[in-house]
Amino acid sequence: MNAATTSNSPGKWVVLPHYAFAALAFIALSVLLLFSTDAFSGHYFHPKLLTLTHVAVLGWATMIIFGALYQLLPVVLEGRLYSERLALYTFGLLGTGTILLAYAFWNFEVGWVMHLAACCLFVSFLLFNMNVIQTARKAPRWTIEADFIVTSAIWLLITGLVGLLMAVNFSMPFLPEDHMHYLKLHAHMGMAGWFLLLIIGVGAKLIPMFLLAHVHSTKKLNWSYNLINGGLVLFVFDHMVLRLGLLTLCAALVAGGVVLFLLYVQEAKQTMLRKDVDLGMKQTFVALGLLALPLVLVLVVSANLDLPQALMSSVYLVYGITVFLGFITALILGQTYKTLPFIVWMHAYEDHVGRFKTPLPKDLYSQNLLRWQNISYLLGLALLMGGVLLQQQEIILAGAIGFTVTATLYMINVFQLLLHKAHNLKPFTYGNAST
Amino acid sequence: METQAPDLGQEVFETLKYIIDPEVGINIVDLGLVYSVSLEEDQLTVELTLTTSGCPMGSTIVTATEQILLKRFPNLEVKVELVWSPMWSPDMITEEGLQQLNKK
Repeated sequence: MNAATTSNSPGKWVVLPHYAFAALAFIALSVLLLFSTDAFSGHYFHPKLLTLTHVAVLGWATMIIFGALYQLLPVVLEGRLYSERLALYTFGLLGTGTILLAYAFWNFEVGWVMHLAACCLFVSFLLFNMNVIQTARKAPRWTIEADFIVTSAIWLLITGLVGLLMAVNFSMPFLPEDHMHYLKLHAHMGMAGWFLLLIIGVGAKLIPMFLLAHVHSTKKLNWSYNLINGGLVLFVFDHMVLRLGLLTLCAALVAGGVVLFLLYVQEAKQTMLRKDVDLGMKQTFVALGLLALPLVLVLVVSANLDLPQALMSSVYLVYGITVFLGFITALILGQTYKTLPFIVWMHAYEDHVGRFKTPLPKDLYSQNLLRWQNISYLLGLALLMGGVLLQQQEIILAGAIGFTVTATLYMINVFQLLLHKAHNLKPFTYGNAST
Repeated sequence: METQAPDLGQEVFETLKYIIDPEVGINIVDLGLVYSVSLEEDQLTVELTLTTSGCPMGSTIVTATEQILLKRFPNLEVKVELVWSPMWSPDMITEEGLQQLNKK
């Protein structure tokens, strides 16, 4: 096979801008959090909280996932990305839509700015779906990972459509139910349909790869896929049509699917040959551990427990925090260091391998900053959740400071990687290769 | 008919140990990616695989193998073939590779 046909990686300008935008969005999110400590004392339908949530899910999480996926799709689907141009349009629309939406929510301007933002985002998701589905159509082998990824993209599109309808409904009411009714649908399709399915699909491929593990059966993954999608479809029908109050059953189905994925990961851990796990993977395991929190909380919020209203509001807020700033953020903070250094390394050194001594991807960023980033993150998250539960603004502020420190350390490392260039390479002198 | 050249084969394997898999951090020989080395007249053929099909390192490893062997054996023609059978699994990592992994 010719070497030219063995690389399906897209150009670096398709992938790397997503990482830069996401790092800046994470900083913006943390700074906005510093100025939003007063917003956590009531209902989650609050302009500042809506801003924070959308900066987190769009500018931070979805942006970096899009970028990483353009690199990972060719690995999972074993073929070239359908269109790099579509990927660039998707990036532009997602970035513009996120900034406009954040502005509209923060100032609660529900007019044309919000409409334009929602349109940009919906078109961005549509183009992303075209790219993913066309790439998947050419895949030589269909795998369960491909099922997860393609289905997650479709859920993202539906989530964006509901978001667009809600944005229009703010100033031109036409939907039969109140906003909160659709917000629950929008939020859960985004959380379980987009993020969870996508993360499981990619994680099922990458985690064993990074651990040098071999999981022989995909039965658990197949059932995980069926349970999560079954739970979500049932939730949508029950919420919109049946109205039987099956929320707990839906939550249990989704939770069952997640547990099966975690068992799959445990199997990979048991067979892994790589005993010394790096900081990026350690943080990934922290994220998977943090997944237990929203799984418990979704059962609490769906069980109609007779709790005081103020406490219930706090539990709802903590539930959202554990999903977006807990599980998803922790995972990104870890997986960035498993993907970005490799991508940067590949573009900087692929022509030099075999001719010169080259550094390894892990040498391109500061391990020390990464260690402190992980520590400040856990502190920030614990303080933020504690502050919201106890309704203490000072503790929430301390949590926000923790996140700002985390975001700053993360940004320094990410930009150090993005600006890295190969220099002073020494040619090989043949002797003992092991030394 | 392909002829195996034991001394040359050993030298090729030693040379290919200079190519390090960037993610795992151990060389491609001890990672078990190099399946065979053969010499027919003046053509040196190396069969290697990747840890997963679709691996983004594919072209880098193939090009690096060609480059390093051409530099080491300038009088030979070098042909590198990517093969997928048998499929690579972590069991193919050598004892030395496992020691390197655990040393990190």
